[in-house]
Amino acid sequence: MIKRVEINYRGIYQKTLARRIGSDLVLIASRLGKVAFSNGRYSDAPERDGIPCKYFVFVSPDLPEEELEAECGAKLDIDVADVSIVLDDTMVKGVEPWAWHGVRPINEKVSADGCLLVVTRREPTQLLAFIAAKPHPYRLATLEGDASLSGLWVFKDDLTHERVLGAVAAVDPGIVTIDAVADYLADEGREPRRAEAARTAHAATVQRIRPVAPDAGISWTYAIPELPAWDAFGEGVAVPGVERRSELGPGGQARNAGFPRGTTKTERPVVRFDLCTRCTLCWLECPDGCFDPTADEYYDVAYAYCTGCGKCAAVCPVKECIVMVDELRFEDTASPWAAYRRDPAAYLAWAEGKKGPERRSYAHITGTGVEVRPAPAVRARRTRKEVATR
Amino acid sequence: MTLAEKTIAYEREELLTGCQAVAQAVRLADVDVIAAYPIRPYTEVMDNLSRIIADGQLDAEYIVADSEHSQFEIVKHASSVGARAFAGSSGTGWMYGFEALVVTATDRLPVLFLVGNRALDDPGAFGVEHNDALAIRDMGWLLCWATTAQEALEHVLIGYRVAEDPRVRMPMALALDGAFLTHSQHMVRVPAAETVRRFLPPFDLGDRRLHPDNPISIAPQVNEDWVMELRRQNWEAARRARRVIEQAYREFNELFGERYGTPFFDEYMTDDAEVVLVGLGTVAMPARTAVRRLREHGHRVGYVNLRWFRPFPGPELRASLARFRAVGVIDRDFAHGSPDDGGVLLHEVRSCLYPLPERPQVLNFLTGLGGRDISIDDVTSMYEQTLAAGRGRALEPAVRWIGVREEAARGVPEERRP
Amino acid sequence: MTQTSDLAFDRIAGVRKTPLEEFYASGHRTCQGCESALVMRQFAKASGPRTVVTGSTGCMYVANTSYMTTPWVVPWMHTQLGAAGPSAIGMAAGLRALMRKGRIAQERINVISFCGDLGGGDMGLSGISGALQSPYDLLIILYDNESAANTDIQATGLTTYGAQTTFTPPGKVHRVMQRRWKKNVAGMLAVGHPTCRYVATACSAYPPLDFLNKVRKALAVGGPTFIHTFDPCPKGWDYHPSYSHELGELGIKCGIFPLYEIVDGRVSYTYDPKKKGRIPVREYLEKQGRFAHLIDEDVAYIQRRVDAMWEEWEIPGVAPLKGGLRPA
Repeated sequence: MIKRVEINYRGIYQKTLARRIGSDLVLIASRLGKVAFSNGRYSDAPERDGIPCKYFVFVSPDLPEEELEAECGAKLDIDVADVSIVLDDTMVKGVEPWAWHGVRPINEKVSADGCLLVVTRREPTQLLAFIAAKPHPYRLATLEGDASLSGLWVFKDDLTHERVLGAVAAVDPGIVTIDAVADYLADEGREPRRAEAARTAHAATVQRIRPVAPDAGISWTYAIPELPAWDAFGEGVAVPGVERRSELGPGGQARNAGFPRGTTKTERPVVRFDLCTRCTLCWLECPDGCFDPTADEYYDVAYAYCTGCGKCAAVCPVKECIVMVDELRFEDTASPWAAYRRDPAAYLAWAEGKKGPERRSYAHITGTGVEVRPAPAVRARRTRKEVATR
Repeated sequence: MTLAEKTIAYEREELLTGCQAVAQAVRLADVDVIAAYPIRPYTEVMDNLSRIIADGQLDAEYIVADSEHSQFEIVKHASSVGARAFAGSSGTGWMYGFEALVVTATDRLPVLFLVGNRALDDPGAFGVEHNDALAIRDMGWLLCWATTAQEALEHVLIGYRVAEDPRVRMPMALALDGAFLTHSQHMVRVPAAETVRRFLPPFDLGDRRLHPDNPISIAPQVNEDWVMELRRQNWEAARRARRVIEQAYREFNELFGERYGTPFFDEYMTDDAEVVLVGLGTVAMPARTAVRRLREHGHRVGYVNLRWFRPFPGPELRASLARFRAVGVIDRDFAHGSPDDGGVLLHEVRSCLYPLPERPQVLNFLTGLGGRDISIDDVTSMYEQTLAAGRGRALEPAVRWIGVREEAARGVPEERRP
Repeated sequence: MTQTSDLAFDRIAGVRKTPLEEFYASGHRTCQGCESALVMRQFAKASGPRTVVTGSTGCMYVANTSYMTTPWVVPWMHTQLGAAGPSAIGMAAGLRALMRKGRIAQERINVISFCGDLGGGDMGLSGISGALQSPYDLLIILYDNESAANTDIQATGLTTYGAQTTFTPPGKVHRVMQRRWKKNVAGMLAVGHPTCRYVATACSAYPPLDFLNKVRKALAVGGPTFIHTFDPCPKGWDYHPSYSHELGELGIKCGIFPLYEIVDGRVSYTYDPKKKGRIPVREYLEKQGRFAHLIDEDVAYIQRRVDAMWEEWEIPGVAPLKGGLRPA
């Protein structure tokens, strides 16, 4: 028997965290007399800030190491997972790690009766509004918490690591037991709070496992590309360039249709067009070229391509004009400018509703620590008169 | 009326070294971009080309590069925009630019290189050895040896013709034995420009040409999803190259007279031969002379001069060598640590013969390393040893060094040797 | 500090005059907040459709292109890590020969080749030098994120003193493993190639439009030209990606990365600290995780060196020679 664990994480920000969870599951399973090993999905490297990545753990109580390695090692990806851990809940909207992979459902690999374990502050029903329906039943568990994001050089020691270990023991004791986890975390004079965090998470998670019926969830709309045969594409490693295109309005700019990159984001910029001074900075400074100039000199956002870096919000000189908002508050990537043009008042109400009063931001901890502080909401200005066409 | 009757095949005869002959061919091929960096012995071709350009006989960009790596990258990228490009090197210079050579093949850019074979350092040595050119053998290059200045000239034209064919589009290395061929002067018949134009159409990279009117991206990064299919494509090009090479020789013969028999290798006095030697490059001269002399004494021996190393003429060579009782493989190179510690050619030939139900005996002669001469007597000795092997005698060792100084041969007792 | 006479070129006169069309498009695998991606986007925009580009191995190769797709609208080709210079020469020479021989239409095609600090500042320096001696119209852009960022942040010859990289981790015994001072590439190339008419440094974030106009100017001046850009890297420098612009601006304002252009040997400062002042380097360093292990004396050392660059160098920020001529 083989237990397969998949850890979905945000590139760089959670690289150290995912690897620590993976390493510790191997060490704890080994203590239990099992054979185990872990590896990362090599195609994810080199990782980029925010890109969805995977780390794997394989555990067997009965197979020799060689057979476990033969079954699970040296593979690009796994076929099924007994537990799929999701370290950042915005990944439930789908993951696209590279081109020609397609935006895949987060539960793609979860086996029948396997478990999708999500670190989140949301309710399972809220998550299922984004997750693809599967033909077989599986389980969904939530571990309450924010995505633990940190920089390349820093391990953010916020107990997420210990809590995830405890939650894994809760959703599948066949991988590791909570006693083994706690025992391991109490080793070598480590502070008692570590084992306690795992036990608390374990107890909470046991209460938060729910069965997901077949066909519960949404029907997946993203196509999964089929890779062409060697004699079905051109030779000489030549690829057609992006077609020239530059028109005003939503989707008017040339873009690489083969790899939108939108599943990288944890937040998206919400634009208050009524506050916009048309300074152009969001458009000029976007490394991903995600803003579409419009005839009335606004900048629409191509959310499917936005990676959510937040630079537009940082360079925007107008307070509250661009605010980064949790990606899970949005259902689609429709043009915000078009919505604003259709009904400015409704759009502004919608935008403020999405921002909400609590204005949560992921705390990204660098070596010296940086936090984005919530700003108070600004009342809507009167919509400006239309300006001359560019 | 054949094409040959309508045209003058050769315009004049000139006294040329191998390098000069190649330079004349580059002129005739109307090459667009040349990148130079000096290293003996190939460099003479660049010395000549600079003069040809200075005298207005060729209209080409001539770039003096800062290193072989840059030199090779310059012609690679010149080729990518659709220019016919030429470069070359020798020995460690060729190795210095090796990274660029590898990508030129995977980018499938039909640049032509002259390799003036030279021993690899250390210590620095100028003489011929084939390990430099052979290093490219697994990288997706066309690789061919010329044995005379005349062949060198003609194989620049044949080389561009094959390399640039849309079915192939692979880089081409033309190897010339350093010093022996690169620098010795012979009377060479220089083809007429008009006939060359009929044989070698202008280079057209088609929809792979990098130009604002053809906006493509060349060589985006791949992951595991694509590499195998790309390798498979390259293999297909190498397979197609075999037929394209045959076609090129047919048309060459038609235009320039029956210059070549079989395209991939030449057989000399093999019809009734009991044993043959197989070799690359200028060793063909003493070998053919030895064959003639041995035949005067009633020995049924022949010589197989292998011209194309890549693509390796597997089926053709197998069918040919199957006729003989023994095959002696001459290697002017080494493959230290390989099976039997033989040479590179040994392994290719032996592997080629393996599917035969009845295989000839195979001996290997490592000789002429670092430019040491290979005498008629040396080759005669190789024939004698191969004849003996063909009759089931003295089969061991399979690999023999010919022409190396040995204390044992001078009668120095083993205990007094270092 | 001589002011360069105004050179006629198609200057982008204000942000609103910036060309709308993209030639390096959305849809690439770069990090969130990648300033090097912005360098790509801006140079492509400034250069326009009649351009051919090569990109050396590095982040802007590997991250940008994901096979069977590309973000490039203009023709683009990969080149090897150390081949920014020769790849530009090869394209320019090929195009020139084909135009002269009437095989393609005679026109101005911009030849641009980019490389990272590892590819251009270390391995490919000789090749770039060769290109800057060549007779061709070409522009080499060195995008400098101060590490081998693609390989997960290893030190290069252009990494800032003291920075943590995977090759220079702060340890229990050695706090500062990155003890090399940053190589002065643009200055070295300008001083070493008397016939090269245009060398500049730039930052895509600050001041706005400066980099686009420097690209335009380099292409207008003609011959072989070189621009060295300063690119904050959220992954390797370790900061939240939304601060990419701010880090660029701070780096310029503290004077650690001098911003200038040299046209026909005349230096003009895009950001002149003698007039505008310098903020302490600490304000720049402390916002990045890669410097989190530095102590006051390290910061003071960096400050002293930056001070010397502006106060003691014969040509501040460009040439590290001091004082006037002395008698032999």
